[in-house]
Amino acid sequence: MNKILLIVSCAAVTLLPRIIPFFASSALAKLPRFLRKCMMLLPVAALGALIFPLALTDFSGQWYAGLAGVAVAFVSSYLKGPMILSIIIALISTTLMLLV
Amino acid sequence: MINTKEMREGIKDGFPIFLGYFTTALAFGLLTRTSCFTFVEGVFTSMITFAGSGQFLMMNLYNAGSLFLSIVVSVFFINSRYIFMASSLSQRLADPKSIPGRLMCGFGTVDEVFTVASFKGRKLSYSYMAGLIFTSYVGWVSGTAIGYAGGTFLPDVVQKAAVITVYAMFASLLGSEARRGGKALLVAAISALLNSLLILVAGLSTGLSFLISMIVATVAGAFIYTDKEVCLE
Repeated sequence: MNKILLIVSCAAVTLLPRIIPFFASSALAKLPRFLRKCMMLLPVAALGALIFPLALTDFSGQWYAGLAGVAVAFVSSYLKGPMILSIIIALISTTLMLLV
Repeated sequence: MINTKEMREGIKDGFPIFLGYFTTALAFGLLTRTSCFTFVEGVFTSMITFAGSGQFLMMNLYNAGSLFLSIVVSVFFINSRYIFMASSLSQRLADPKSIPGRLMCGFGTVDEVFTVASFKGRKLSYSYMAGLIFTSYVGWVSGTAIGYAGGTFLPDVVQKAAVITVYAMFASLLGSEARRGGKALLVAAISALLNSLLILVAGLSTGLSFLISMIVATVAGAFIYTDKEVCLE
């Protein structure tokens, strides 16, 4: 298999779905109200599925280490902690859970 | 034309993504080396693709000896979520006309950039987006190069724990959003539960499962939120 052709083809099927919608943005803005509302709600709907279940399954048997990290990051930001702080305490919590 | 203050803010917001990408890319760089890619091929992949899950999928299928076309089609399917993310993000640009600006945003619409930018809560300038995307991109490409050359030099437990970085970032965005009301949590819970069921119980591929969960939760969200709450004028 030609590796360079493979790399370029995979890059194309990655980048085109990302770039094309930006050039259809004015058409997208004219979509029915309900669909425009959906577009605005996509980020929050994506968040849940971006976290679960992969944050747990990525740690396979030690899934609780992933859960601990996600939970402390959530609580810290809920209490107005800056994102970088949430990430640092998540890293520490997960590391500790992996060690026990 | 370039607003330094905006760009600096983008770089600052991109720093957590940098951390997560750098550590993930170390593993990707190592994977390209063990898959008999040259250094240039490995780094070139990250430079022109800039996608986490799609690149890992490509390498795994390549190593499994899959056919060329089946690899490309699989990578397209796992990336099809970007059509929706890019459509959504395109509606938040301050100046939707600039061609180089739109090309840059399209190139940089990865999951993490999409979520961080979306929750910024205001119109996005290209200076801000450039800072955000550039920082993430540097993490991804440099991580791949260093991972190829030196392997994952981090101690085993740190490398393993570093996986949490991007998930902690998503959880942090959700935490801030939840403070404004429980509806965000409800919508996120729908997609989290559905995605978990589809992957763990129904055995769907992560790409297809993510797409279904995100769309179902989005439509549910459109019924849960009022028009005013999503600032639909």
